[in-house]
Amino acid sequence: MSDDGSGGTASDRGAAGWLRGWRPAVAMAARNLRRNRVRTVLAVLGVCIGVLAVAALGIFGNVLALGADDAIGDIGTQVVVSPNADAGVESLSAADVAAIRRAVDDPAVGDPAVVPLYSDNAIVEGASGQTFATIYGVEEPGLAFEAAEGRLPDRHRQGAIVGSGIAEDLSVGAGDTVGIAGSQVRVVAVLAESQTFSPVAPDDAVFLPESAFAADGYAQALVVAESGETARAAADAIREDVNAREERVDLFELAAIVDEINDFFDLLSTFLLGLGAISLVVAGVSILNVMLMSTVERRQEIGVMRAVGVTRRDVLRVLLAEAGLIGAAGAAAGTLLTVLLVAGLVAATPAVDAALVLDPTNGYYLLLALGFGVGVGIVSGAYPAWKAANERPVEALRS
Amino acid sequence: MYSVELRGATKRYPGGGAEPVVALDDVDFAVEPGEFVAVVGPSGSGKSTLLNVLGLLDDPTEGSRLLDGTDVTELTVAERTAARKESIGFVFQDFHLLPTLTAVENVALPTAFDPGDESDRAADLLDRFGLGDRLDHEPAELSGGQKQRVAIARSLINEPAVLLADEPTGNLDTETGESILAEFERVKEEGVAVVAVTHDPLVEEFADRVVELTDGVLEGGTAGETDSVAGSSTDRAPDSALAPEER
Repeated sequence: MSDDGSGGTASDRGAAGWLRGWRPAVAMAARNLRRNRVRTVLAVLGVCIGVLAVAALGIFGNVLALGADDAIGDIGTQVVVSPNADAGVESLSAADVAAIRRAVDDPAVGDPAVVPLYSDNAIVEGASGQTFATIYGVEEPGLAFEAAEGRLPDRHRQGAIVGSGIAEDLSVGAGDTVGIAGSQVRVVAVLAESQTFSPVAPDDAVFLPESAFAADGYAQALVVAESGETARAAADAIREDVNAREERVDLFELAAIVDEINDFFDLLSTFLLGLGAISLVVAGVSILNVMLMSTVERRQEIGVMRAVGVTRRDVLRVLLAEAGLIGAAGAAAGTLLTVLLVAGLVAATPAVDAALVLDPTNGYYLLLALGFGVGVGIVSGAYPAWKAANERPVEALRS
Repeated sequence: MYSVELRGATKRYPGGGAEPVVALDDVDFAVEPGEFVAVVGPSGSGKSTLLNVLGLLDDPTEGSRLLDGTDVTELTVAERTAARKESIGFVFQDFHLLPTLTAVENVALPTAFDPGDESDRAADLLDRFGLGDRLDHEPAELSGGQKQRVAIARSLINEPAVLLADEPTGNLDTETGESILAEFERVKEEGVAVVAVTHDPLVEEFADRVVELTDGVLEGGTAGETDSVAGSSTDRAPDSALAPEER
C-alpha cells in the first residue's frame, strides 16, 4: 500500500500522471478560493502590487541603464596613448607608433585604426574674431573624425580642418580662410560636433597636415576601435607589448569609465529590484496569513478529507494549488498592469525613448516578476499546506 | 471471518496528572459482515475512541486490530489512509460534507484524486438513496436528512467492509432519523458491517446487537457473548420487526 491510494504511483505514469494528479486539486482549490472572495481578492491584490513593483522598478532601472549606455556608449571606443613623462619619454617616436600598430594588429582586438597626432597651441583668427586653440597635426583624419561640412581628405596634405566649436566662434565654414600663427590657411572641412568626451577635444581644435609641424615626435596617438570591448582589448594589448620592457606610454582609456558607469547603473537596477522585492515579500506574508487562516477555518473539512481516504499528498496539492493560484492571478494582473503603466509613461513623457522601453531586456524583468509572483505564492503556501496536510485527522475532526 | 475486530485493545492518553487516562480497557470487539452493532454508553465512556480505533484514525496503545482478517494494528500513515479509503466508510453526526462541492462531488470525494471518473457511480448511489434529483445541489441546499444520505452514499463509494457511524441521528428529528436507520438496514444487507456509536434509543431498536461501553470497558463486544440485545447476525429479527414502521 502506498500514499497514492488505488492508482499506483505517479512515477509509474510519468509527467502525464503527475499533471493529472494536479487537475482535481486545482479545480478544488479554485472553488475554495471563490468561497471567500474578498479575502482572495485582497491576497491577489497584494501579489499584484508586489509584482508591479518588481517589474516596474526593474524596467525603470533597465531603461535608465540602457539610456546611459546609449548616450555614453561611443566614449568607450577610443583609447588615447600618450608618452609617459614620468619615465622621461617626451613624445611618441615613429617606432612607438609602429609598436602600437603592431600591438593592435590582431583580429581579436578588431584591428582598430591608430591615428598619431602632433600637438601645439596657437591663436586662430577668423572673420568674426580670434581664439586660442589646440592645433593638431594629423595625416589620416578620416579614421578618427567625421565632417559636418566639406570632406575629410584620405591624406591630409593641405588646408585646415576646423572643430565645430571653433567654426562657430569664428563664424567660418568650408572654403573660408583662417589665420593660424600668422599664416592664412583655407578651411577644407568643419568637423561634426563630437558626441563623446575625449582629452583630444576635437571641437576646440584645428587640424593641420603633419607637414605643418617641425616637432620630432607625436604628442599622442588615438586608437579608434569598433566597440568598448575591442577598445579595452586594444588597450590591454598596448600595455602588454609597448610597455613590455619600459613604461613608455600612458593610456587614457574611456572604456574603464564606461564600465564604472555601467556598474553604477547595474547597482541602481539591483537596488530598485530589491525595493520591489520587499513589497513582494510583504505580499508573500499576506498569502501566508490567508492560507493559515483558511486552513485553520477548514480544519474539520481537511480532517474529513483525510478520514475518507484522501492522501496527505493530495491535501497538500489542493492547498498549494490555492496559494499558487493566488500567486499566479496576482502575478498575471501585476504584469499586465506594469505593461499598461509603462505604455502610459512612454505616451505621457516624450523624453523617454520608446525604443529603450521596447528593448527585449525589459521583457526579462516582466518574466522575472511573473515568476517571482507565482513563486512567492507557492513558497508562502507551503508551510500552511504542509501543516494542514500532516495534522492527524482524529485531531482535526474533534475540533 | 469478522469484518473488523479488536483483540485486547487498550487506548491510553497521557492525562494531566501522572496517571494516563484509559479510554479503552482491554476491549474485545468483533463485527460480522452484514451485522449492525450499536455502541451505547455515557459521555466520556470511550465511544469515540472506540470508533477512531476501529476506523484507523487512531491506533490502540496495546492489543491488535484486524480488518477483514488482516492485521492492521501497526501501519504507516500512508498505509492507514489507503486502508481507510479501501475498507472503511465514515458517517458523522455533523454530516461533514464539503460545502464547495455538489452532492455528487461529495460522494465521489474519496476517489476525486484517482484516475477515472466515479461521478456515474456516485450518481447511482445518490439515486439509490432517493436523491436522484439533488445531484448538483450543494450541501447548503439540502436538508439534514438529505445531507446524511449524501454522507452515507459517500461512505459507500469504495464498497467498504465496515461503515462507522458517529451519532448518525444526533442532528436529525425522529422521523428523519428513522429513515436514515432504514438506509443502514439496506447497507447492511449488502454485507457491510455497520457500527454506530449512539445515545439514541432509536438506533438501538434498529441494531442487531447493542454493546455497552462504560469507562472504557466493553460489555458484549463479540457476537458470542449473550448479553446483546438483538442477538447475533445469524438470527436477524430486526428486519421483520422494522417492517411495520419503516417499509
